[in-house]
Amino acid sequence: MNQIVAVEPGVYSVLMNGRSYEARVEQSDGCLIVVIDGHRFEVEIRDPRRWSRHTTKPGIEGRLHVTAAMPGKIVRLLVAEGDTVAAGQGLLVVEAMKMQNEMKAPKAGCVVSLTAREGATVAAGDVLAAIE
Amino acid sequence: MFRKVLIANRGEIAVRVIRTLREMQIASVAVFSDADRTSLHVRMADEAECVGPSPSTESYLRIDRILDAARQHGAEAIHPGYGFLSENADFAAACEAAGIVFIGPSAESIRRMGSKTAARQMAIAAGAPVVPGTHEAIGGPADARVLARQFGYPLLLKAVAGGGGKGMRRVDSDAELDAAFRDASSEAERSFSNPDLYVEKLIERPRHIEIQLLGDRHGHMVHFGERECSIQRRHQKVMEECPSPLVAARPGMREAMGEAAIRVARSAGYYNAGTVEFLVDARGDFYFLEMNTRLQVEHPITELVTGHDLVRLQLEVAAGEKLLLRQEDIAWRGAAIECRIYAEDPYNSFVPSPGKITRLTRPLGPGVRLDGCVYEGWTVPIDYDPLLAKLAVWNGTRETAIARMLRALREYDVGGIHTNIAFFRQILDDEAFRAGRLHTHFLDEFMERRKPFAPPPELESIAAMVAAFHSKRNAPRAETAPPRPSRWLEIGRHEALR
Repeated sequence: MNQIVAVEPGVYSVLMNGRSYEARVEQSDGCLIVVIDGHRFEVEIRDPRRWSRHTTKPGIEGRLHVTAAMPGKIVRLLVAEGDTVAAGQGLLVVEAMKMQNEMKAPKAGCVVSLTAREGATVAAGDVLAAIE
Repeated sequence: MFRKVLIANRGEIAVRVIRTLREMQIASVAVFSDADRTSLHVRMADEAECVGPSPSTESYLRIDRILDAARQHGAEAIHPGYGFLSENADFAAACEAAGIVFIGPSAESIRRMGSKTAARQMAIAAGAPVVPGTHEAIGGPADARVLARQFGYPLLLKAVAGGGGKGMRRVDSDAELDAAFRDASSEAERSFSNPDLYVEKLIERPRHIEIQLLGDRHGHMVHFGERECSIQRRHQKVMEECPSPLVAARPGMREAMGEAAIRVARSAGYYNAGTVEFLVDARGDFYFLEMNTRLQVEHPITELVTGHDLVRLQLEVAAGEKLLLRQEDIAWRGAAIECRIYAEDPYNSFVPSPGKITRLTRPLGPGVRLDGCVYEGWTVPIDYDPLLAKLAVWNGTRETAIARMLRALREYDVGGIHTNIAFFRQILDDEAFRAGRLHTHFLDEFMERRKPFAPPPELESIAAMVAAFHSKRNAPRAETAPPRPSRWLEIGRHEALR
């Protein structure tokens, strides 16, 4: 017998083929994160009643924006506008929570805009550079 | 003994110290910044005082405000924890001048050990082996280039006032020198307000093994054996164990390291808790690295294996009591491992992951110790180190301790943010780790060879099923059932019919 029961808020006990699993669900923007035994699954629920078309994500083609993953401070720029960069090449160094992290180019191309300035404080989601 | 102690720190270590204070029936005073009003150490302490805005330079590093709080609350002593002001000689001196006991060594000992070059000199004088390098700060990249010809690459640039890997860079060639020097120096300036660097020959694939010491103010000192801290990322320890697999396999090595550590500490007139760090090469030769003049993050594994509460001993010797423990009273039983649980994403270049903890399940059961500062609903502030908790386990052997840690990690769940919990399970499953073949670049090499953390095949369909179930349960009622008519509307109609 297969069975799902809610045991705690956002926590489900699953019995399947005689085996017991525990799944934890949390809401992330646009999708659900399901964690089972330390493994994370991003699940997108497609409800035809709540269909929307503007959820397509930018692909690897065309212009890609590099955004700050979290609030921090820009320590150093490693490239300049107009530079050609390889995929994975460091673009700039951001310091957050006492750690310096290098932001890398998501793909090879040309740095068409570099809005980041050394010493500037950035918020999560801020566009720092664009690569085309 | 003291009646009231202030903890000049935050997070898990403040909570750790409060626990022992409570066991000793000593009142605790927490200090906190604006970002930490809801933090666990404030909730747990008997008394608490705000010492300023969120940036640590305006709160946890403000000597004047912390001393004001101590005076205001009538605290007789201050425990500095680790980090922040714990290795600040001026702070220790200011406490003394204010008639408040600093729970740690003298300001003079901190000053002597705080300068790595001075500490090196002292180690040499005390007859402890050291790694080849300069004895003082160098002028700039040009000096480093000259020394590179003398020692040969690879070299290590290190902050004179440094610690915790801040202001440290590996250099493999002349070409890298200028950039590395600039980065290390600016990082040192930011972290320690001192941009000075020195140069050291890099020992390839060394182990990092440290000795825990504790001495009283009457000249008596003992060691509590070693901790192996070779699992590091960017020179930050991630996972530690006691005993060290290498030391455990070599009779006499613990005693030799312990005696060397005590000699160095004695030459600085050291008392209270401290740790002497050694680099150990493949042959088992050890070199003095530095002395940390405070309680270490990873002290719980020593407590688990020796059975002593180091914070209690710190308090006792700080109060002027004689340390009654003799070296032969200290015994090591079984094995302990600690994992540092960070708010970071190990699958996305370890970016810090602050945010709200939406769900929390803590590991429990035999042999598990959790030193944390996390609770459900708490938001991890962005202003500080992302350490959430230290999970430590004890068991009879290294092998069973590894099994216990794996079990505990599987029970541990932190929702809402990313953590490195699952990453530890991969390390513990690694063949080289299990064989005890450790060195400070272990993690870099592990990252290269590790397999993806792949779920068993059936989990994907279970996840989909659960997501569908959850979203149906939590769907707005409007979409599953017709809306209930408004009671106001009903009353309105009823009234209209009258």
